Amino acid sequence: MSTEAKSAMTEFTSNLRSVPRRMLESAFRSGKPNTDRTRSTFVFSNVFLHLHSVRTHRWSLRWTTTMGLGLATTAAFLITLFTGVLLMFYYKPYPDVAYQSIKDIHFVVPTGRFMRNIHRWAANVMVVTVILHMARAFYTASYRRPREFNWLVGMGLLAITLGLSFTGYLLPWDQLAYWAITIGANIAQSPREVTDALNLTDYFDPGGFQRSLLLGSEIVGEEALIRFYLLHVMILPLALVALMTIHFWRIRKDGGIARPADADARLEAPAGAVYPVFTQAPQKTYQLAAIVKGRTSAVERGPENTVPSMPHLFYAELAILMLTALVCVALSLVSDAPLKELANPSVPENPAKAPWYFLGLQELVAFSAFMGGIGVPSVVLIGLGLIPYLDREKAGTGEWFGGPGGARLVRRSLMVGFGASILIEAFVIRFGWIREWFPHVPQLVVTALNPGTLLTLVYGLYSVWLVKRYQSTRAGALGLFTCFLCGFLVLTVIGTYFRGPNWDFYWSPSLWPHH
Amino acid sequence: MNRNKILLLASSIGVLALLAAAAINENFLKDWRRIQSVGHSPDGAINVQLRQVVNPGLRTADRCTSCHVSMGPGEQEVTGHALFRKHPAVVHDPAQYGCTICHGGQGSATEKADAHGDVHFWPEPMIPLKSAQAGCGTCHIALHVPKADQLRAAQAVFERLDCRACHRVDGKGGTIRPDGGGMEGTDLTRSGVSGYDMGWYAKHVEKSAKAASGPWKTSWAAVNDEDLAAVAVFLASRNGAPKLMEAKATFFSYGCLGCHRVSGVGGDEGPDLTRAGEKDPGQADFSNVPEERGLNHWIAEHFRAPVALVTGSKMPAVAAPESDIAQLTTFVLSLRRRELPGIYSPKDRLEAVRFGKREFAGDGATLFGAFCAGCHGQDGMGRTAGDETFPAIANAEFQKLASDRFLTETIAKGRPGRRMPGWNKDGGLRPDEVAAIVRHLRVLSGVEARAAEDEWKASRDLRPAGRRLYAASCGGCHGADGQGNKGPALANAVLLDVATDGYLRDTITKGRPGSIMPAFGEPSPTHRTLAAADVEAVVAYIRSWQEKTKNEKKR
Repeated sequence: MSTEAKSAMTEFTSNLRSVPRRMLESAFRSGKPNTDRTRSTFVFSNVFLHLHSVRTHRWSLRWTTTMGLGLATTAAFLITLFTGVLLMFYYKPYPDVAYQSIKDIHFVVPTGRFMRNIHRWAANVMVVTVILHMARAFYTASYRRPREFNWLVGMGLLAITLGLSFTGYLLPWDQLAYWAITIGANIAQSPREVTDALNLTDYFDPGGFQRSLLLGSEIVGEEALIRFYLLHVMILPLALVALMTIHFWRIRKDGGIARPADADARLEAPAGAVYPVFTQAPQKTYQLAAIVKGRTSAVERGPENTVPSMPHLFYAELAILMLTALVCVALSLVSDAPLKELANPSVPENPAKAPWYFLGLQELVAFSAFMGGIGVPSVVLIGLGLIPYLDREKAGTGEWFGGPGGARLVRRSLMVGFGASILIEAFVIRFGWIREWFPHVPQLVVTALNPGTLLTLVYGLYSVWLVKRYQSTRAGALGLFTCFLCGFLVLTVIGTYFRGPNWDFYWSPSLWPHH
Repeated sequence: MNRNKILLLASSIGVLALLAAAAINENFLKDWRRIQSVGHSPDGAINVQLRQVVNPGLRTADRCTSCHVSMGPGEQEVTGHALFRKHPAVVHDPAQYGCTICHGGQGSATEKADAHGDVHFWPEPMIPLKSAQAGCGTCHIALHVPKADQLRAAQAVFERLDCRACHRVDGKGGTIRPDGGGMEGTDLTRSGVSGYDMGWYAKHVEKSAKAASGPWKTSWAAVNDEDLAAVAVFLASRNGAPKLMEAKATFFSYGCLGCHRVSGVGGDEGPDLTRAGEKDPGQADFSNVPEERGLNHWIAEHFRAPVALVTGSKMPAVAAPESDIAQLTTFVLSLRRRELPGIYSPKDRLEAVRFGKREFAGDGATLFGAFCAGCHGQDGMGRTAGDETFPAIANAEFQKLASDRFLTETIAKGRPGRRMPGWNKDGGLRPDEVAAIVRHLRVLSGVEARAAEDEWKASRDLRPAGRRLYAASCGGCHGADGQGNKGPALANAVLLDVATDGYLRDTITKGRPGSIMPAFGEPSPTHRTLAAADVEAVVAYIRSWQEKTKNEKKR
């Protein structure tokens, strides 16, 4: 009896002593990731890491392959998520009270101002990097089969990113927010420009519907604020996380980062310090996997140029995460997030400007609300979505500016893109447009024929010419994408720096008239 | 691989360094922390913490006391820094009311520039200290303020009678007492608000008679009725904000209300000023103001040169000494409003809003100064502003012609189509106030009111002749159809209604000295002389328009 009791006590104490070790073992079941096998299990037995493939091609880890732009976008999102949750503790989504709570966050909440700055800067960084990431994917022709669908998912992520940023804009309830959202709501209402011209608005009013869907009311008020708040803190982040998961998962399922067919041959031999490649025989055979249709990363290609994702890929990912954090934190220490006067519906901001990434659109909206806000963006989005299905060529996948024409074509397209947009803008600023010349011309004429549609037409014709000249859809796509990027840049810069009260052109804000 | 490791290490160190910098900045370098760290109370060093005055009723949460520690609740004894000055004794304890309700500024801020509101995007900067009493205007409306010279005269009488020997007023005086040291008389600083014993004079006389010696015997002398009236004016104007009183009195001397409306009373030529003190300096154009910032500077410069600051402004430059400009600026800064919960609504405001009590005193001089002087001049002798001439109304010649009815109706109904508004209908003045102005005009001109209306009527038969004479002698200035040109419109329903034939006859015959209207009854080289019959004909013709305007009205 006593020996039994004693042994039970011994067992208990030894169990107690081994609790930390057992706890660790039960959490990390495969042990230290120091062999090929344990490194693999480290990845695929972890719910967060298993979205990665266990081995990463060395081509993908070259800095020039992706420049870490997608990772930076993810990092920026994680930073906004973290700071955003902290801000939610203090933010109160009700008109006027919201403004006061931002003032409190700015002045008295411990680290509140810093967190808000980081949140704002990370959101801007995210918008920049997501656009650059898309450009990278495009210029390396990474959208091609089998990655067409992931390109579409990426477009969805771009839209949600802009949506998140835009909905966050209203929350401070200051003048900047109020009037930017008013502009946004008017853009949503812009189909009225067409229905009004056709005298249809009384029967069919998609513009008015969109606007009231967005605002929940006739005016930008408490309904709009709670709507934007809900979108900003719940609906859009959830959608973003869902799409991001798919996006990452598909990278793995589509064979990793796109690389040239001859990537293996072009890689130098791994440096001595790099972990050796495949030192252990597989425990499992992949008979079942072999009969599953479709591609996996290992099919058609030897594993010789892959390295374990743990730790090679994860070092890269953490490095990008910290680098992004560094950029956001540094910017936050230098520059405060803006907060203007309390929203005042009776004192319109002049000029009322949307967030910077929409100022290109606002520039087009100034010509025609419908074409600038709905028409041209729809054409661009449809064009972007169709690219992977139209360009079914093989040459140049995974190469920067890969495809017929290459970097030379892109350089020429830069000149066409910048040239055409600057010329048209200069013409409009100097001489005006149809409405100024013929005040009584029907609105539909202006809607159909305005600087925005003209620019789109020029870009379209140029890319059709490229398709013929190079006998390649990819060449046309390269030209068109470059042109639209240039147009976006030119219009955004003009909208941001050169437009003043009444959307008139000024060389600098110091020349703006008062009153 | 190694490059990624190095990048990870470098950026991690960078982030840590920046976070550390942010933490140091947040926890050690904030101004209010450094200021509080030198503070001492009798119990030793004070806690370094965020301090604020919260008043839910006024919806204020003012963190000003984070730096101005000794103005916070229960912190009066804190010393050690220049900022730890005690708040001067005021009616409203800042430890209870907070700071921004009176001073403006940004109460939620914890940094100097932001808190004082002298930053972009904060529409309510602090009221400058020299105009500090303008802050009273946020809640209070002072009642029955006389015009400036009356207030000054009343104050002079109060000083001359040496009331301050025993009474303290606005922080000065009250030094004599029977046994030396201490104050004998009551503090009269707020006598206009709290009221005072109306029978004070009789009691003073009585006490003086009873006293055998001491101040009651030596410092007291009888006061005549005129001085007593002045003392009453002075005491009624004491509400604890003497500088704001002076500013208001000055405002009521420049006739600004002739064009501007304040709290529902005044003209409509210029913008409504009821909340002019809340103007957002961020919306003001400072390019023609010598100082770069500060709403007070903008307002002062606007008085000096309105057109330079507001394009197309019709307001004439205010010809006033700089001391008056400063007072007018203080007054404009005081034009602000805050919606207050009932218990914070002051009595004066209630009396003004609910019972219609006036901000300006009800005597004719103040009313004339506040409403008429802007156009008709301080002396009532007319004024020329730009190419516009405003008629002289206080000259004896005119006052002799005009009956009380003529003056009253003219003020009450105005001259439709001209700058003169109808003060009863549109301007918001009451009949007794109009009557006070009429009485003041009689005083200004030194002419008694006419005993009775002139019953003389011009014969209707003379109209055709009058038509020819009018075209030859009058149409040039008054318009071919009496629509007015350089001279006022005569085909004006109100004028024709108010003016008797006798008034018209006398005006034509004797002219209007001080204006371009000549005396047609006197020989002159520049115009034709009209004989009595000619004048009657012209009057008959002018009168014919009355039927015309009446018919038009009917239609």
